[in-house]
Amino acid sequence: MTPTHFTISSAFLLGMMGLAFHRTHLLSALLCLEAMMLALFIALSLWSLQLDATGCSTAPMLMLAFSACEASAGLALLVATARTHGTGHMQALNLLQC
Amino acid sequence: MHPTTLMYTSSLLLMFAVLLYPLLVTFTSLPLNNDWASSHAKTAVKSAFLISLAPLSLFLSTGMEAVTSSWTWMVTTTLDITLSFKFDHYSIIFIPIALYVTWSILEFATWYMHSDPLMNRFFKYLLTFLVAMLILVSANNLFQLFIGWEGVGIMSFLLIGWWHGRADANTAALQAVLYNRVGDIGLILGMAWLATNVNSWDIQQMFILSKDLDMTLPLLGLILAATGKSAQFGLHPWLPAAMEGPTPVSALLHSSTMVVAGIFLLIRMSPLMENNQTALTLCLCLGALTTMFTATCALTQNDIKKIVAFSTSSQLGLMMVTIGLNQPQLAFLHICTHAFFKAMLFLCSGSVIHSLNDEQDIRKMGGLHHLAPFTSSCLTVGSLALTGTPFLAGFFSKDAIIEALNTSHVNAWALTLTLIATSFTAIYSLRVIFFVTMGTPRFLPLSPINENNPAVINPLKRLAWGSIFGGLLVMLNINLFKTPVLTMPAELKLAALAVSVLGLLTALELATLTSKQFKVTPLRTPHHFSTSLGFVPAIIHRQIPQLSLLLGQKIASQMVDQTWLEKTGPKAIANATTPLASATSNMQQGLIKTYLTLFLMTLVLVTLISAT
Repeated sequence: MTPTHFTISSAFLLGMMGLAFHRTHLLSALLCLEAMMLALFIALSLWSLQLDATGCSTAPMLMLAFSACEASAGLALLVATARTHGTGHMQALNLLQC
Repeated sequence: MHPTTLMYTSSLLLMFAVLLYPLLVTFTSLPLNNDWASSHAKTAVKSAFLISLAPLSLFLSTGMEAVTSSWTWMVTTTLDITLSFKFDHYSIIFIPIALYVTWSILEFATWYMHSDPLMNRFFKYLLTFLVAMLILVSANNLFQLFIGWEGVGIMSFLLIGWWHGRADANTAALQAVLYNRVGDIGLILGMAWLATNVNSWDIQQMFILSKDLDMTLPLLGLILAATGKSAQFGLHPWLPAAMEGPTPVSALLHSSTMVVAGIFLLIRMSPLMENNQTALTLCLCLGALTTMFTATCALTQNDIKKIVAFSTSSQLGLMMVTIGLNQPQLAFLHICTHAFFKAMLFLCSGSVIHSLNDEQDIRKMGGLHHLAPFTSSCLTVGSLALTGTPFLAGFFSKDAIIEALNTSHVNAWALTLTLIATSFTAIYSLRVIFFVTMGTPRFLPLSPINENNPAVINPLKRLAWGSIFGGLLVMLNINLFKTPVLTMPAELKLAALAVSVLGLLTALELATLTSKQFKVTPLRTPHHFSTSLGFVPAIIHRQIPQLSLLLGQKIASQMVDQTWLEKTGPKAIANATTPLASATSNMQQGLIKTYLTLFLMTLVLVTLISAT
């Protein structure tokens, strides 16, 4: 595995670790989600540079656009949760638990 | 035109004019005076009767018959229909008798319906019925007969449902119309076959042109028509139900005139039936079954009008038997004599019913022999005539029929049934007389028993004279078409009288048992069969519609709604998916952290393995 590949994979994994092992705040999970998105952006940008393939040059821009939509959706959910449940804590979202 | 024919035609025309004038007066907007019913309607019928005696006397002296065809109604390529009247032995004798009976009934009805606010309309309906009946009887082609046929049917409906606020009366009227309609199918079948195969509806042409044809199909149609109109077995329930109408209606329509229209049709068409053994045997067996079944039902009825109605049905069966014996003239004689005593029986019942304040149950009558002597005497005379007491009216026709039955090569089963039914006639007649006139009164003390009104006495008197002398008068003055068999063993000759006397003695014995308990636990099954009218109305009017409605309900709600839509269709998908979804969501506890951690572990392992 090339060092670039390893770096990007580990950046993605670190972000996912933060998403998985969140504790209290929903906002921290969303931030880690952004970090994952960032790692993926860099991966897509380096793809066309490393492989000298100009065909997929637009992919990072598309990725960024969709990531922005996703971030806004996530933030809307956070605001809605804060409105309905009072807090932004993760313990409030326990409806599906038995 | 020959003077006799001129006399026949002009008297019929005058009769129609006299009968239609009161009806046409009602169509103008002049208000009728209070006694229009007695001053106009009854006198019209009386005058029509007196007018009809002229052709009768001419016929009796000359024996001349006539057919008159006048105005051409329809001309098609193949079929012509003209207005044509037949003045033969049957119509010339029947019309005066029908008018005599109707005159008496109308006079009685002025007393019976006195308190009815719509009495004038009642008389208008009765007059319309009479005109339709005269059209039927004097018709020479089937189209004109059909007009009269439908006319009497519809007037029967209107008159049975006279007290239309009563649900039972509406049901009975509907029954009458529906059963008559089934018979009409037969008549129309016969007419259609004759129109297409014999190319004519004129009676004379039909008889000549059908000599070599196989007439079974149209004859079956005509027999079906007679079954419907004359209440033979199978289409009989409407006749006892028709007793919901007022007593004058029962006396006129459902004993003397309308119900004999079916038999009259068969009498008119008898030359077509002479050589067709199938039709004759069918008439014989159907008539025998009818007379036996309805006499059985009459034995245990408690409503006086129903007993007389079943008696009418039984006599109609006897007339059908006579037609089956190929003796149409004897059937016609029985129609004539039967009109007298049956109308009188109904008028006596009407007098008794009104006297006891509209009580119709014979178990609540009694002792009227002392309280209403004239009515009970007329009741007795009528019953004696009905059972065929020698030399009263019924004897001449009934005894002749039984003798013809005994001396012909006929189905033994039909013979036995007819003889048993004759004895039953005596039994239920005695039952009526015993319960109504004998014994001690079983009604309330303050009953308005009053038969002193001339409007009651005169009709009963006239019909009593007719019941006593009618048979003799008719028999003395006519010529029999077929030679009767005059020599037979003494047992056969006395058979009718013997079975009637046997029935009378049995009934007397049973009558003495009404106040004793003969058996502790009597066998009730035959009694139930007879009282429930053989279960025919219960099955056909209730059970079969109930099954149909049940089937409809099963199809609509259970098959369509429950099965197709819920169990196998749209809802089935929902019902099948919901347990799966709830099981899956039971399994998934929402442990996001655990799921993501596992995912992460897997990715870390993949990265580490691929990095080395």
